[in-house]
Amino acid sequence: MASLTDHLADLVADVDATLLFSPTSSFHERFADDGVEVVVVAPDNDVDAETFVELPLPFDNVKDRIRFGIEGAMDEGLLAEGDEVACVASVFDGGSDAVIRVTVDEGIHTGIYDLFTNSRAEPSVIRDVFEVAIELGQKGQKGKPVGALFVVGDAGKVMNKSRPLSYNPFEKSHVHVGDPIVNVMLKEFSRLDGAFVVSDSGKIVSAYRYLEPAAEGVDIPKGLGARHMSGAAITRDTNSTSIVLSESDGLVRAFKAGELVLEIDPEEY
Amino acid sequence: MSAIPTALREILVAVPYRIWLALLVLVVGLVSAYLTGVINRRLLERAGVPEVIEGTAFERTAREFDTSTVRIVAKLSSYFILAVTVIVALTVADVNYLEQFWSGVAAFLPRLFVAVLVLIVGIVVGDKTELLVAERLRGIKLPELGVLPTLVKYSVVYVAALIALGQVGVQTLALIVLLAAYAFAVVLFAALATKDLVASAAAGVFLLLRQPYGIGDEVRVAGERGVVQEVDLFVTHIETDGEEHVIPNHAVFRDGIVLIRE
Repeated sequence: MASLTDHLADLVADVDATLLFSPTSSFHERFADDGVEVVVVAPDNDVDAETFVELPLPFDNVKDRIRFGIEGAMDEGLLAEGDEVACVASVFDGGSDAVIRVTVDEGIHTGIYDLFTNSRAEPSVIRDVFEVAIELGQKGQKGKPVGALFVVGDAGKVMNKSRPLSYNPFEKSHVHVGDPIVNVMLKEFSRLDGAFVVSDSGKIVSAYRYLEPAAEGVDIPKGLGARHMSGAAITRDTNSTSIVLSESDGLVRAFKAGELVLEIDPEEY
Repeated sequence: MSAIPTALREILVAVPYRIWLALLVLVVGLVSAYLTGVINRRLLERAGVPEVIEGTAFERTAREFDTSTVRIVAKLSSYFILAVTVIVALTVADVNYLEQFWSGVAAFLPRLFVAVLVLIVGIVVGDKTELLVAERLRGIKLPELGVLPTLVKYSVVYVAALIALGQVGVQTLALIVLLAAYAFAVVLFAALATKDLVASAAAGVFLLLRQPYGIGDEVRVAGERGVVQEVDLFVTHIETDGEEHVIPNHAVFRDGIVLIRE
């Protein structure tokens, strides 16, 4: 056992900070007067930690969760490149069961934290749209894969840079993403072409929108189709974020300022 | 050999008929008190009461004494029935000493029961509202607001105590006057403080229901021209180049709306 304990000691030797992922408050207190900087990464700041990074998605994949936490801590100036951090996280269901040592470098910085926290729309709205897109990707429409395009935030401008393809089913309605009924409704409407426009506060403004941004010079990975192209282009013309579910490969992608920032496989959730 | 049954029969005959009836009443009362206690507990548990009042101070105190609020209420109901049974049994048995006292108790007992019940419910509801308010305010890190949940709690408990005292026949006029003064002050203060908010909300309801303008429309309201970004109950967000105006809805309503069509 000695070598195992030694290895664990080596693992946490000289770390600059400790990242606690969703700790319980008693667990957090034990770290409080340890001397090493402690950063709490959790959906809510339940433990009243001083340094806190919000985790908007649950991130079942631990790698993604750690990446997101480190990126958030970097964006908030808690960590810098070259820092050594120890991450205490839960890999299986239950309490914190793993210690992972990570060296912070710019490669981790993908912009995903930025996507959630610095978007015009509220983080919870972006998360809700993500969840809807992921669920749509998992289930599809009657077993067949579907595609969908959500443009979130800056809805006024987006509406002025698009035109209706048909009557707007959300006209005079007050449906917000995250409402329980939305999943069912969107599943039905996703059969039809066009984009969904969602406002900053999460109100679904319109469906069936044909986006008309200037697409010149928008650089997205080759192989992606017209839906991704228009989704990426509208985020360059406006301050919106677009979340696209691909019909062909089933991935959910997020675009911001005309660039691809996140790619998630719905099957992994 | 037949001497013992005969003696028994004699004793049985010697005991008056009323006593037997009283004993029967007592047994029925005992059984129904027990059943009521069990049924009440089950009903309250089925209704999800323990989950709802989880974490309130009263429940925690009850837990310390190895019981729970639901159990206390259930016990209370069975004790009530038990007490009534005893009184009925005594009346049936025609125990005529202290008759005055017992009739007084019989009239007083239901009131006392209701009073205790109201008090318990009041304290639990007070605790629960304190928790709920504190939870709502937790996001706002403002220490001055810490007094609000306590205030809400004691208001609820105060009203419950008033009702309970009224039930047992204590003079509560002075306390009611105090409550009225307090309620009046709260209402007046709230009305003054939220005058604009209420006006905005009223206008907001109209805007949301009739939607004279929607997200994406270009409008001029309250002197600001721009594209509508968001309409909610209290404010309208209007954006022009790099500037976002947040306009209270009562201003929108007062000054009118100009829809710009080109």
